[in-house]
Amino acid sequence: MTENDKNIENQIEEALKSFDNIQRASPNPYLLTRINARLNGRNIWEKTAFFISRPSVMALGLSLIITINLTVILNSSKNKLNEYSITTISEEEEYAIPFVTIEINETP
Amino acid sequence: MNQTEEELIAALKMGAAQAFKTVVEKYQEMVYSTTLSIVQNEADAEDITQDVFVQVYQSVNEFKGNSKFSTWLYRISIAKALDHEKRKRRKKRFAIVQSFFEDRNGAHDHPVEFNHPGVLLDNKEKAGELFKALQLIPEKQRIAFMLNKIEGLNNSEIAEIMDTSFYAVESLLARAKLNLREKLKNYYLHLSTK
Repeated sequence: MTENDKNIENQIEEALKSFDNIQRASPNPYLLTRINARLNGRNIWEKTAFFISRPSVMALGLSLIITINLTVILNSSKNKLNEYSITTISEEEEYAIPFVTIEINETP
Repeated sequence: MNQTEEELIAALKMGAAQAFKTVVEKYQEMVYSTTLSIVQNEADAEDITQDVFVQVYQSVNEFKGNSKFSTWLYRISIAKALDHEKRKRRKKRFAIVQSFFEDRNGAHDHPVEFNHPGVLLDNKEKAGELFKALQLIPEKQRIAFMLNKIEGLNNSEIAEIMDTSFYAVESLLARAKLNLREKLKNYYLHLSTK
């Protein structure tokens, strides 16, 4: 091992030991104030987005949309049936031969 | 009044401002120190620490108490710090691409020297070199090493935070030291040939 290798080994050991007795760093003393400002400063859209992005709210919203869609589809098919029957009746009425009263004078 | 951790979390779940204040005061150094060791920038670590506590306030109901509260906080802090790093790296890549099209000098190519405020004065220079080397080793090894050396956690605690086994942590730490040795050796060899 050359002198240079030894020197490098020593430096590596020193570097690896440099974290010994390291202290935790402290944040800014106004951290809580800043966090509270962030929490209070959230605008209505952020709050709404946060509320909507909750899994329970998303699931509820999705099931509500599906229910509304199903209701609309079912109702529209029911209405189509009703419309068909109304149309059929009205067409029948339109083309129906009007009652003609023929008076036959029977002469005795 | 001396609250137990369960009482404190229960009060926090009820939205008590005093409980939130206590949580911030109790854990701020832990969160800040963890994020600072990862991102190696005091302003960024400060922002991430704020983010962590905002998330804690918003999603404390998701904490089921299956692990220690500090473990949950460590996980959020590490995830947020790593996210921040990835975003920063993406921005850096974009800046490099941009520099091909604009006449810029390459100031952003070199990482800024980081001085951890908790390092003893005599160790500042060597610690700076170790922090540089830490940036060059795989993410999991770096987190395990940092939790062990800077946060002073044992293998079981690290395993719980990283959601892995005791032996996996042991292996991560061994590989981290090996890789750090190699990176430092390259660095010092490069210096000696200059």
